[in-house]
Amino acid sequence: MKYLLMLLTCFATAKQVGQAIYVCKNANVSLYSKAPIEDIEAKTAKGTSVYNAATGDINFSVPIRSFKFDKALMEEHFNENYMESEKYPQASFKGKISNAINLSGDGIYPVSATGILEVHGVKQNRTIPGTITVHNGTVSMAADFIVKCADHHITIPTLVFHNIAETIRIQMAANYEIYKK
Amino acid sequence: MKKYLFLFTFLIAGQIARAQTAADSIMNALNATTKPEPVMATFKSTWLILSQTTETVKKNNLNFLVVHRFGDIGGPNGGGQTFFGLDASTDIYIGFEYGLTDNFNIDFGRSKFEQLIDLGFKYALLRQKSDDSTPFALTLIGKAGLKPYKVNTNVFYEYSNRFSYFAQAVIARKFSPAFSLQIAPGFVRNNLPFPYLPGSEKQFFSLSGAARLKLTKRFGVVVDYSHPFSDFRKNNSSINFYDPLGLGIEIETGGHVFTINFTNAKAISQINYLSDTESKWAGGQFRIGFTISRIFDLNPRHKSTWK
Repeated sequence: MKYLLMLLTCFATAKQVGQAIYVCKNANVSLYSKAPIEDIEAKTAKGTSVYNAATGDINFSVPIRSFKFDKALMEEHFNENYMESEKYPQASFKGKISNAINLSGDGIYPVSATGILEVHGVKQNRTIPGTITVHNGTVSMAADFIVKCADHHITIPTLVFHNIAETIRIQMAANYEIYKK
Repeated sequence: MKKYLFLFTFLIAGQIARAQTAADSIMNALNATTKPEPVMATFKSTWLILSQTTETVKKNNLNFLVVHRFGDIGGPNGGGQTFFGLDASTDIYIGFEYGLTDNFNIDFGRSKFEQLIDLGFKYALLRQKSDDSTPFALTLIGKAGLKPYKVNTNVFYEYSNRFSYFAQAVIARKFSPAFSLQIAPGFVRNNLPFPYLPGSEKQFFSLSGAARLKLTKRFGVVVDYSHPFSDFRKNNSSINFYDPLGLGIEIETGGHVFTINFTNAKAISQINYLSDTESKWAGGQFRIGFTISRIFDLNPRHKSTWK
């Protein structure tokens, strides 16, 4: 009897683990850079993410080409000259959220994710602060952080140096749903 | 008991491990369904040396073009006496291209050669897609030319004789971030044959080919060639006609694209150089040329929505 109970517990846990995967197919990511001549700003809603609440694993990815700028030429230069999006089509983050979150109750939890941020084909170890919000059973995440161009070998030619800032601020917001097979 | 505890741990660990790899495979599945994007910047500019490319000026953008062809580098008209052709200019073209939409442009330009004024449109019908669902870009070009003054042709009895037309379908493919190639069948019609000589056809077909190889992100080499299918030009006993061929380098600085080139064609407008290229590469009858393309974005200045 004792063993049977144990086995049952085991399956119950397994089921819980199976449900603990959250996905997002339309994460908002925006980038912003304050520059002397003109601020640079771009947005996309094509980010994808998988969050495994049981293990804390977080995967995040965004297609570079999907970033939309107001100015067509800026968008072209962003893709062609800086991000080289044909060679490096995605920017991604793969890591772990160490904080234990109770996803069954409403609340706003400050968290931090540690892992590898890959931009322009260059991997950097980063710890990125963010928040997880649970509201009426829906899970959402937000983060705001800085990426230094030099860290990811994004070179800015001296000729246009003053038009472009050396750091880019990234904001992301994602609403997750439970993964269904 | 110990045995079962081991089994229990094993099962749990197995589930976690499976969930972990599941996260990766779910991620891959999510990203596999992303829509293909149109391929960007097959060429850096709307013009190469001789040819217009498949690229269009985007909505509410104005492209200002200054194209120049100097005199013969060598031969009787070149050499030190003309500072290798720099004292002369065989053609100067000043043009504007405006994006009514991202895919539809209207353009206007004026050449020194025959003082040709041309008004045209450019329509990007197909764009190459990143997944090769559309493997090439197709852009249509139409132009109407007018010669308001008598330059070499002085037999404009009827006003309609001053008009000429050009139509072209440009097919281009970006094979890699560095290499792009285009071919463009075209059609030229001069209401009054140009040059105005016995046997000169009013209309003929043409085929152009051009390629760009980027050596760095902002620097590349371009080659541009055109051939008119014309018996008059092929078998002429009094005048020799040659196929226009251009070689050049392309430099992008941000808003500007510069092309510095060498070509045997004296004229810049397709109507002119396809009709009348009488200079050849041999004997120094080629010239230095340049193209400056500057894009002005006429959209309202971006207001930041960043908090």
